[in-house]
Order: sequence, then structure tokens, then C-alpha cells
Amino acid sequence: MTEDALSSISNLGVLDSLSVASISEILESWNSFCLITETIVNGDDAKLSISYSKFQSDVSSLCKYGLRSLVEEHFLLSLQDMFEKQYAPKFWKNFDAYKNVSDREMNDGNMRDDEIELLLCKALEEISLEKQYQEKCLLMLVNSLQLCQGHNTSMERHPIDIENNFFSKYRLIFSSVLMTTVPRQFTEILHWYFKGRLEELNTIMAGDYDENNESEDDNQPSNMDIDRIHDQKKILENKLVRSIGMVVHNLRNLGFTSMTEDAYASTIFLLLKAKVYDLAGDDYRTSVLESIKEWIQAVPLRFLRALLEYLGDSMSYLSPKSTKSPLASTPSSCYQKFGKPSEGIVRWQLRLEYFAYETLQDLRIAKLFEIIVDYPDSAPAIEDLKQCLEYTGQHSKLVDSFISALKYRLLTAGASTNDILHQYVSTIKALRTIDPAGVFLEAVGEPIKEYLRGRKDTIKCIVTMLTDGTGGNSNGPANGDSLLEELNRDEENQESNGLDDDINTEDKQTWIDVQRWEPDPVEADPLKGSRYRRKVDVLGMIVGIIGSKDQLINEYRVMLAEKLLNKTDYDIDTEIRTLELLKIHFGESSMQKCEIMLNDLIDSKRTNTNVKATINKSSLTGAESRKHDASFDILDATIISSNFWPPIQDEDVKIPEHVDQLLNEYAKRFHEIKTPRKLLWKKNLGTVKLELEFEEKTLQFNVTPVHASIIMQFQDQKSWTSKNLAAAIGVPVDTLQRRINFWISKGILAESSGGDSNDCVYTLADDMADGGKSITNNEVSVADDDAETSVASVEDQLRQEMTVYEKFINAMLTNVGNMGLDRIHNSLKIFCATPPVYDKSIQQLQSFLSGLIAEEKLELRDAKELPKHTFSDPNFFVVASAFPGRAIILY
Amino acid sequence: MDNQSTEERQRHHPSPSKQPKASPVPVDTNSVTQRLQKELMALMMSGDLGVSAFPKSESIFTWIGLIEGGKGTMYEGLTYKLSSQFPLDYPFKPPQVKFETMCFHPNIDQFGNICLDILQDKWSAAYDCRTILLSIQSLLGEPNIESPLNSSAASLWSNQEEKWYTNSMLLEKHVRADTKTQGLLS
Repeated sequence: MTEDALSSISNLGVLDSLSVASISEILESWNSFCLITETIVNGDDAKLSISYSKFQSDVSSLCKYGLRSLVEEHFLLSLQDMFEKQYAPKFWKNFDAYKNVSDREMNDGNMRDDEIELLLCKALEEISLEKQYQEKCLLMLVNSLQLCQGHNTSMERHPIDIENNFFSKYRLIFSSVLMTTVPRQFTEILHWYFKGRLEELNTIMAGDYDENNESEDDNQPSNMDIDRIHDQKKILENKLVRSIGMVVHNLRNLGFTSMTEDAYASTIFLLLKAKVYDLAGDDYRTSVLESIKEWIQAVPLRFLRALLEYLGDSMSYLSPKSTKSPLASTPSSCYQKFGKPSEGIVRWQLRLEYFAYETLQDLRIAKLFEIIVDYPDSAPAIEDLKQCLEYTGQHSKLVDSFISALKYRLLTAGASTNDILHQYVSTIKALRTIDPAGVFLEAVGEPIKEYLRGRKDTIKCIVTMLTDGTGGNSNGPANGDSLLEELNRDEENQESNGLDDDINTEDKQTWIDVQRWEPDPVEADPLKGSRYRRKVDVLGMIVGIIGSKDQLINEYRVMLAEKLLNKTDYDIDTEIRTLELLKIHFGESSMQKCEIMLNDLIDSKRTNTNVKATINKSSLTGAESRKHDASFDILDATIISSNFWPPIQDEDVKIPEHVDQLLNEYAKRFHEIKTPRKLLWKKNLGTVKLELEFEEKTLQFNVTPVHASIIMQFQDQKSWTSKNLAAAIGVPVDTLQRRINFWISKGILAESSGGDSNDCVYTLADDMADGGKSITNNEVSVADDDAETSVASVEDQLRQEMTVYEKFINAMLTNVGNMGLDRIHNSLKIFCATPPVYDKSIQQLQSFLSGLIAEEKLELRDAKELPKHTFSDPNFFVVASAFPGRAIILY
Repeated sequence: MDNQSTEERQRHHPSPSKQPKASPVPVDTNSVTQRLQKELMALMMSGDLGVSAFPKSESIFTWIGLIEGGKGTMYEGLTYKLSSQFPLDYPFKPPQVKFETMCFHPNIDQFGNICLDILQDKWSAAYDCRTILLSIQSLLGEPNIESPLNSSAASLWSNQEEKWYTNSMLLEKHVRADTKTQGLLS
């Protein structure tokens, strides 16, 4: 080794000048230096002080001969050698036990955690001691060198420089040795250590810390002086933080700064994520954001603050050059004053909060569909989501995920239109909270709208939802209010809130609006323009599905007519209220017809009383009309001004003689009172209260006149063939068969095939044992036949109205050629300007055209409607060359 | 040549008695539009078989019409496309009606110009689009040999009505077959 060292001296000139004595001196000093180095490096602390003077003289003599670098190098080399061969393997050996332990097994229980903790602390302490010792050795050398430097003025380096230089060199060697030998499981161990500690801290914070855990903290370094704090929690927390701080400190000393930070950062994030999941979960009824924030303040940030403070304190004697990851806080921050959080803490807080927001947001977005399903209850979750999105700005994520959820879960054939509509309304309301500008709502609402347009019962459902809260739908608003009522309430609230604004003058309002202006979100579709984006209007959006409010009103009119015609009393309070609400939203004029219908009902009530009063008066005189006396009391007429009512289904039915007489009498009286008006009965409409008396029981029914007429026929004759019965009632056989099913299903009539194959015989069932059962429970049953409505449906009406335009469409297609829907619509708008003016929406036209296609009058070819029965197909130009010299071009 | 003659005739026979207010009356497009809309509606509602027409594009002043050859005439089964341009002072002036489909007929030239009195000097504001179309339809079956635009057709018609007739029938049959094939091909 000596020879090696000597041979490494390359300056041959110096060699020449060496005398034998000096050579021997060098050799002697070198040997002695090497020996001492070896001894002290090997860790004999006692010898350190003893051999110090000898060591010093050796070093100085070597330095004298310019062998200073050799001395330095040899010393460091031997330190490194020692560390590499002994300390590092010893340190890592501690963790060998976990070499093959996978993550999952680590999770077993707290015992493992404690083990790791103990082990880590011990190992770190050990290695730190060793390091300290080595540093002490190094200091000795440095001192010696400094001493000889004092003699040798040629050296220009500053003593501090030498020291720093040495220590940094040493640390570099030290950490690179450790780094190169770090076993794979060490990062995991660190990770689990921090996890364990943080969870512990979490439990302390949660307040259910118990005595058992105290033992864990026994390995507190004795030099840790615990402040006298009365709160045991505080003590425990401090102890814990200090123990962690110690570990972190030691790790940093070893050069594992970034690895440590990674470990505790990822642990904190994992913990935070778990906490968010735990808090948020599937409960949308409470806002969790605040509690998450509180938790961040309470646990991770407190921990970090304590840790950084602790590290910051120890920084002064730590290496000033310790490398810091940019993410890490600056522990030694001088800003740290009372009450003012350090920059590092602020940075950590922002990181953690962003992470929490993002986690919560992802969680909520994934569950947005469910959240919106129970919207009014899940408002807190929506509010959370709104705040998260404001922070993270990932709205597009929401839109994408929600649309796909909608397509997958809602817009399927299995979902009822009512459910879709309710979800749509909830979506509107919920997204309105998140995004008042309505940009994302537009994006999300589009697929729902598209889908609903394809459904036939959409309008009906919308009207039901708007006007009739219960609507037979369990998903409706729980309080049974209609959507309209709800909207009205909302509006009233808004108005009362905006009362202050009303006081402002117009100019002021404008100024406020200007000040409130915010740019559209980046996701906004620039084509749509921001002026369309005003306050989101639930009703407007719903009407938007249908296309025009007229359609909606028309549908409502039909429904109202149906409802009014089936009323047995004149109680129309709810209808009036609904109408008033509709008027608020759609304007007086558009609801005029409906209002007339309601007025008809009110008038009917009065007229009805009048008519009856006159009849009763006259009947006092005429004895022959006494027979009818009772009858008139049972008759209630609804007198309608048919011009304002939707077309009413007309069906001929022969009603029993005496009832017919009664009706005629009534009409006569009406004419007398209201000359010149005449009363025309719609005999097929209305309701009849029936009482069927059988031998052993009486049954009550509310049925239509046709049903009543049918059963009346059986009063005198027990059995009828269908042909005869149809003739007696005056309805076609097929109608009869449809209607009579009601009585058959009730078990009152029985059907048997007659002699003729087309004819069947209905007989009054004498034994109602089987069929009658169902009625006995419910004395009054109503003939509720879905297929039979008193009023022509909106589709039928539309069909009727559109036939006028059929000719136009035909003519334009024949003459002008193929056209698309838009062009047909536009042409009709332009050219049908004389009455009947074309006033239909494009959706209505579309449905009409598809009707024509179904009837094979038109053909849809490449999205163009073509007439089928045209003179000839206008598509082709045919050049006939049958007669040379004469070309005739035809279409 | 024929084109010119038609226009000349219009110019030469301004028929002041029938259109006295034509020039002094300021052009009121609105009323013309209304009148045309009414005519269109009437045409639609009339349900006449064999004639139809509709504005070509957004403007109501240019119409496209279709005329089927009248039953029992040699034009039966054939369909002709017409264009009709209404002047701004309609109905004081007649519309310009032209055959867009080539039509071999004594009173129709190869450019599709029609020689029909009600479209020229006999025009009256009482006529409307429907009557014009029906007149042209009947003109097909009953040509006016006295003022032919297509002299060869006229001579064929007057001299060899039988032959002309048979030719026409043959032609018609051929065209029909051809149209059918074309229809199938597409």
C-alpha cells in the first residue's frame, strides 16, 4: 500500500531532491498515518484522542513533503472503505427481513407497523451514530491539516473552505455508497412507516387515541424534550411528530431527502384520498368539502407544519448544503413567524387542497348520474362539485362522463319517458348550480333532447308533469306539486331576492350587468354566441324539447278537455290554478281557448241549475212529468262552446229511450232559457253512474254511455247476439266488441260463440262467482279505457290540419323536384301565406311527412322526400331516339 | 326567330283596352305576391288532375309547372314541364310561359315558346295560373293550325293526321318504355 502510494507521486523532480533521511521520514510518517487511520476508522473511539497528537505530527510531516493530497485521499478512501464494507451492509441488513414481503402482507396489522418503526428508528440511529463518528474522524484530519496549513502559508485556501470541502466530499461519498446499495424494499418500508405514523396521527386527531398505543412511542429519543403541555393529545402528537421528525432528519442526513419526501408525500396523498373516499362515499346529502378541508388542516398540514418546524430547527446544525427537492418546502424559511404560515406550508396546503378537490371531483363526477337522480336531496354534493370544478376547471370531464352515463343508463328503451323527463329537469336544476351560464347544460342536455324528440309520448308526459304533479308517477315531486307550481315558487323566490335591483334605475342595472359580465367558459361553443346564454330557464328548456310552446299548449288543451269532460261535478279549482300558472309562463293570449273551456264549465254549472229549476217549476203543474222528476236530478250537463274545444270524437250511440227523452227535454229547456242557442248532445260522451242489482248484491259502476247502453239492453233480454246488440245500440260490431269487453272482464256478461262464426252470443252471467270477485272488493269501479278518449288527440288534429299542406308538398315535390325537410318547411312558410297560413313547426312537419311516407305517398330517399305517385319520376331526363331526327325530351 | 316573333307580337298588340292601367300603376309587389299566393292556394285546392305548378325557388314570380297530355289526345300519358315567369305588374300583363320539355306541336316551337292567344293579346286579369295551365293542356289536343310556330308539325297535323297520330303513339310508347327502364336503372 505504501509503495503504491509512493509510486503515485508523479513529480519526479521532487523525488530527486529527496534525501535518504527525508525518505525514511516520509515512510515512517506514512506508515504511522496509515496505522492510525486504520485504527480510528475502525471505530475505536478511545484511541481517537490518544493518537491525536501522533496523527497530527504524521499529517504535518507528510504535508511538509507535499503529500497532502495523498493524505486526504487515503483518509477518505479508508472511511469509504469502512463504510462500504461494514456500516452500509449492517444498515441494510436490518431490512432484510422484509425483502420478500409484498405490500399486501405488510398490511397485516399494526404489529408489522410497529416492528418497522422500531427497526427503522434503530437502524437510522445506529447509522447516524456511525456517521457522526466518521465525521469526528474527518474533523480530526481537518484540524491536523489546518494546523499544518498554519505553517505552510503557501496554501491559500481558507480553513473554512477546507472543512466544507471535506465534509461535502465525505457526504457525497457517504450517500452515494448508500444509494448504490439501497435495497428494493427500502422505499416500501419508508412508505409503510409514514403510513403507520400518519394513521396514528389521524387517530390522535380523531380523538380516540387510547393508552395502548403509547407504548409505540417508547423509543423516543431521550434527548427529545417534551414541552409541558397539559393536553395529552398534544403531547402525544408532539411525541409522534418528533419521532417522525427524527426519522426524517436522520434520513435526510443520510442523503435520502428526496426519497423521504416522496414517501411521506405519497403517504399523505394516499391517506387524503382514503379520507375523501371515506367522507364522501355514497352519501350526497351532506357537504363534505368543508370537513375535508378541516381534516387537511387538522392532520396532514399539522403534521407537516410540525415536521418542517422541527426540521427547520435542526437545520442550523444540519448540513447547509442538503439538497432539497423543489416540491419540498423550505424548512429553514425565515418567514416563519408567529401566526404566519411559512411558504412551504402554504405550498403544501395548496397541493393537498388541489389533490382533495380533484379526488372529490372525480368521485362526484363518476357518480353524477346518481347524484342527479336524487337531486333536491343531493344538493350539497352538487355544491361541493361546483367548488371543486371552480378550483380544478375540468368541466369538460364532467360533460363527457355525464353524457356517457346518460346514454348508457337513461336514454335506453327501458327508461320511461317520465323518468327521463324528471332526470332532465333535475339535471337542469343541478347543472344550473354548477354552471349558471348554462354552457355545459347545453352540451349535456342535447342528447336528452334529441332522444326525447324521438319518443311519441314526450309531449304528453311533459304536459302531465307540468300540470299534474303526481301524474301517477312515484318519481314526481314528493309534495305532489306540479312542476309548474315548483317553477312558480322558484321564480317568486328569485323575484324577492332581486328586489333590491328593482330599485335601481335602468342605467344602474345595466352598469351592474356590465360589471357582472364574465367571459364564457372556454368550452363554450363560439357558434352559439353568448347572448343566448342567459338565465337557465327550466320551462324554456323543456318547451325546447317539443319545439314550440303552441304544441305544448295544444296538448294541454286536449288533456284539459278530456279531464273536464270526464268530470262528474263542476269542481275545477285545480284546473283554474294550473291555467293561471300556465298563463304566467305562456301569456294570456295563448291560453285563451283553455280559459274559455274552463268558463264553459263554470257556465254549465249555472245553466244546469237554471234548467233544472225551470223544469222543477213546470213539473209541479204537469203530473205526467212527475215521472221525470227524479230523473232530472240525476242529469248534469256540461255545455261547451265547441269552437274553442279541441275536436270531439263523435260516435253514434242509441241510448235508452227514457234517457233520450230526458235529454231532449233538457235541450228544449235550454233553448227556452238561452234562445237562440240550441243544445246538441254528444251522447257518446260523459259518465254514467250505474247500479246493477243482482239477486244477492248490488254493484256500482262509473261507465261511459256506450257501456251503460250495452248493459241496459240486458235488462230485458238476457242474451244477445253481437249483431243484434250492435244494431240495438247503434254502434258498429267491432266497436261493440271492444266496449263489451269491459263487462266481460267484470264477469257480468259472458261471451260464447254463436251459430254463425262471425257472430257471438253475449249472455248475462248468472253466476258471478269467479268474475265478480274482483268487484266485491271495490264496489265502485270505473270503466277506464285507455284507448277510448273523448277528444281527438293532438296527433289526429295535426294530421287533419296538415292535409291542406299535403297538396302543397306534393305540388312542390312534383314540380320543383326533390327537397329536404328544411326546404319544404321554408317553402311552405313562404308560399302558404294566404289562409290557411302555414304555422307548424319543423318537428310537426317532420312527423307529418313520416306519416305520408308510412302511407307510401312519399318516399324518403337519401334524406329527400319524393312523391311516389307523381306523373313520372322527375329525376330522369330520357332522350328518346326512336324517331331519327326528332328528339323528344321527357321527364 | 320564333322567340322574336312572340315578343314582337306582344309589343305590336299591347291591347290597350285590356290593360289600360298597366303602365301608370306603380308596381306594387306586395299585392302581386298576394295575388300569386292566392292563385297558388286555389291551384292546390282545385285538385285538377293533370296540371300542377309550384314556385321554383324562394321567389314567387317564377313557377315550374307540369302538364299531362289530355286523355284521348295523342299526348296522353306524356308529361311536359313548363316554366312561367310572372311580370311585376301581373295580372295586368300575362306571364311568360314556356315549355321546358321539348314538345312537338304545331303551336310550340323548338325553344318551347307557345303561341296561345290568352298568353298574348287575349290576356285578361281574370285568368290565373290554373286557367293558363288548363288552356295549354287543351291546346295540346286541339292545336291552332292557323298560326303555327312549328310548320312541319302543323303540316303533319293538317295533312296526315292519321299518320301523325300513329307516329305519336309509337313515340309515346317508346318513351314510356324508356322512362321505365331509366327508372329501374336508378
